[in-house]
Amino acid sequence: MTQLSPTTTTAPAPDRPVERTRTRRGRAGRRPRVLVAVTALFFALLYLPIAVVTLFSFNSQKSLTVFDGFSLRWYRAFVHDDVLISSLGTSLRISLVATAGSVVLGGALALGLVRSRTRLGSLAGLIMLVPLITPEIVTGVASMLLFKGLGVTLSTGTVMLSEITFSLSYVTVILRSRVAALNPEVEEAAMDLGATRWQAVRLVTLPALLPAVLASAVLIFALVFDDFVLAYFTTGVDPQPLSVRIYSAIRFGVQPTINAVGTLMLAGSIGLIALALFIPRLFGRRGGLDILSGS
Amino acid sequence: MDATHAVRLDGVSKRFADSYAVHDLNLDIEAGRFFSLLGPSGCGKTTSLRMIGGFTDPTEGSVLLAGEDVTALPPDKRNVNTVFQSYALFDHLSIADNVAFGLKRKGVQKAEIRRRVGEMLELVQLDGFAARRPRTLSGGQRQRVALARALVNRPAVLLLDEPLAALDLKLRRQMQVELKQIQREVGITFVFVTHDQDEALTMSDRICVMNEGRVEQCGTPEDVYEHPASRFVASFMGTSNLMTGTYRDGTVTLDQGPALPVGPRTAIADGTAVSVSVRPEKVWLSDFEPGMSMQRGVIRETVYSGPTTTYLIELAPGVTLSVLEQNTARARMEDRWSGGETVEFGWRPEHCLVLA
Repeated sequence: MTQLSPTTTTAPAPDRPVERTRTRRGRAGRRPRVLVAVTALFFALLYLPIAVVTLFSFNSQKSLTVFDGFSLRWYRAFVHDDVLISSLGTSLRISLVATAGSVVLGGALALGLVRSRTRLGSLAGLIMLVPLITPEIVTGVASMLLFKGLGVTLSTGTVMLSEITFSLSYVTVILRSRVAALNPEVEEAAMDLGATRWQAVRLVTLPALLPAVLASAVLIFALVFDDFVLAYFTTGVDPQPLSVRIYSAIRFGVQPTINAVGTLMLAGSIGLIALALFIPRLFGRRGGLDILSGS
Repeated sequence: MDATHAVRLDGVSKRFADSYAVHDLNLDIEAGRFFSLLGPSGCGKTTSLRMIGGFTDPTEGSVLLAGEDVTALPPDKRNVNTVFQSYALFDHLSIADNVAFGLKRKGVQKAEIRRRVGEMLELVQLDGFAARRPRTLSGGQRQRVALARALVNRPAVLLLDEPLAALDLKLRRQMQVELKQIQREVGITFVFVTHDQDEALTMSDRICVMNEGRVEQCGTPEDVYEHPASRFVASFMGTSNLMTGTYRDGTVTLDQGPALPVGPRTAIADGTAVSVSVRPEKVWLSDFEPGMSMQRGVIRETVYSGPTTTYLIELAPGVTLSVLEQNTARARMEDRWSGGETVEFGWRPEHCLVLA
């Protein structure tokens, strides 16, 4: 979650197209220096801790305060740590299942919400937004209490269920705007040409939504993979997702291995979000993440 | 059941919430015709078309295609195809795949599909565009793809929902001619929805003028233009010079202005309030004939527009007529009337229409 805002906020980038640079130059001259300074400070504070983690993941010594030379020692230690590796596998499994589940359900919900003209439909559209504003810790505790109350043993499966519930709103919000932008005549045209209603959705509507579906899948994968709060409350004892495992490990003192894991997770998340922003461009149309990137 | 009617609407109504979009519509469309539904926006023409296509269910009445009741059938079970106003092309498919869509649904053989798609693209002059995507085409080209995609299925009836509305004037004129040619070539019944009276007049075999969910008049373009059945039709089809007055003994005395001889009308009782209409091009400004209905008025405005000049002539206070004159070779610039001059003008009595 926290990594979203920095990667999607557009910093004044040097690689603007030529025409835009020309129109911008005049205004840039008048731009107050103090704003530039504040922006720089903002990014410095935001990235400093991450930079420290990344730097010390390459430290050749065990110290977390003194950098003693470059080495891949902690990455090797991570690769040979069976517990961490199995947690990584668990996290990947949870992310894949939660992504698939929430994209399918959220996509169906988005289609339904846009097309439903009933009062119940608009009510569902509002309720759907609640998980977005509910503090995650509340969702986490509530999920845990629900599972306990139902007598369900906490496991990887319960994490998957909670993550799907939590991610559903994101998928729906992203896809709903895309569905609303679709031309209803296109689906009618498919039916006019002999397709049944379901074939029309499958052959025409889904392909039109594909870029947005892929983009939201990548986003959800990244969100779920590094989610801690929900996972912490709903996971069983063994196996544990990576984020929970790291938290447990830190309680017994920070091992530099954690720095290496953190750096790898960071690289993975950045890669995924970059992919999510890039996918729509592959299809030559505006992205499914317009809401998030603010463009 | 008369099978020569490609489309028959039998007492069809469509009610939305509290008002009728279409009210008790009865239409017979003969096979092979270019049939236009003409009217202002909101008159129910598109709703009528959608009921023929199966996209809207009628509240009452039945829809028959070639004598068969299809009221309860979904769009994919009807032997009609539609050209949508937005073209509604499939952006993720190539032009060839767009055109092939309907044939694939029907399970036509691959070689046959390839042949028919090729033929159809040739018909709409888009051979060479088969592999392109819809987004890379111009508006006129996309319009042709939409037409080809519908026609390739050889439907009994082709429905066209304002297909030319998004094109610029020049392209629209060109497409009007092309559409008409294509219709003659393929011999398929076209049901064409438009709000553009010029378009309807130039393309149609028959026009049905609609207003507020009801049919005002059905007939040939000439019928509808020369003999409008109502005030609405007269004013919707071109400029009409509508004037209000009272009928008595073969003359209509205008509310403000002179009495106009209109000939005896047995259908109209003396003392009835009526409208009279004279088309701008039916008014003469020179070379009068004996027996014409002659009037005098003051030129208020002269509007030159290339091949024609339009004069606004004040017949009486508050009654201004629009008069159209051809700018023929004989008509010289300095012969044209200018503002403030009093002129004599006239029309043949039969060109003065009385509308109840």
